[in-house]
Amino acid sequence: MANMAVSRIKREFKEVIKSEEIVQCSIKIELVNDSWTELRGEIAGPPDTPYEGGKFLLEIKVPETYPFNPPKVRFITKIWHPNISSVTGAICLDILKDNWAAAMTLRTVLLSLQALLAAAEPDDPQDAVVASQYKHNYSLFLMTARHWTNAYAGGPSRFADCDQKIQRLKDMGIDEHKARAVLSMENWDLEKATESLFS
Amino acid sequence: MKVKIKSWMGVATWRWIANDENCGICRMSFENCCPECSLPGDDCPLVWGACSHCFHMHCIVKWLNSQPNSQQCPMCRQNWKFNIQ
Ligand SMILES: [Zn+2]
Ligand SMILES: [Zn+2]
Ligand SMILES: [Zn+2]
Repeated sequence: MANMAVSRIKREFKEVIKSEEIVQCSIKIELVNDSWTELRGEIAGPPDTPYEGGKFLLEIKVPETYPFNPPKVRFITKIWHPNISSVTGAICLDILKDNWAAAMTLRTVLLSLQALLAAAEPDDPQDAVVASQYKHNYSLFLMTARHWTNAYAGGPSRFADCDQKIQRLKDMGIDEHKARAVLSMENWDLEKATESLFS
Repeated sequence: MKVKIKSWMGVATWRWIANDENCGICRMSFENCCPECSLPGDDCPLVWGACSHCFHMHCIVKWLNSQPNSQQCPMCRQNWKFNIQ
């Protein structure tokens, strides 16, 4: 990899490890291989959000042209958020696209993602279904997001109603994640979910 | 009394006068050159923008070349203009 990219990532790595956020366990960063091209990030769900109590893993790929182009970042942990794809984990965030600047670092990226979890932008969605639920049925959105945080990120809130409906679909031979995703998309209407699965 | 100089050793230090300690692009200290060069000094000069941010010339030129549509300072996002000092 290019000289600049490697030397920058090495320095950033040292900076992040010394940062206050690491000490507070709110962000984390790890190497995946020896070539410094792929890293693993982790952010804690911010307090007073449906993501509170969850730990979210991120795939970070450093391009050869870093820092002149942004790192490629994707959520590995499944998450229910208007600006993050519930299917692929792809993120819609301006600084990871057109608004990237060479002075930004992995630390600023992780902190911006944490800020995105605290303040969604449903008018600029990555996941249209989630964004529409966020806008038209906010309380249901909150429940779904908390439920996903519990199921995938180790969050504390369990919803017996969700679990029961998922179990019903599992009893019909549907995979658990698929059941959860379809129920979430259909606003937890079991009948509609069944219909969309078997039509 | 006559003093004869038998030998002498020159000692000099120099430093760039920059507003920051590190280049915001490569994050190397301004005492050092950019990662593409091997010797600090005239071969790897520092440049300032009108916004007063300072970078290795090689770094800021690479950044501006990577931004075909806009020429902004990577620190403050103001339009980049070289400040000729
Ligand atoms: Zn530099
Ligand atoms: Zn240089
Ligand atoms: Zn500036």
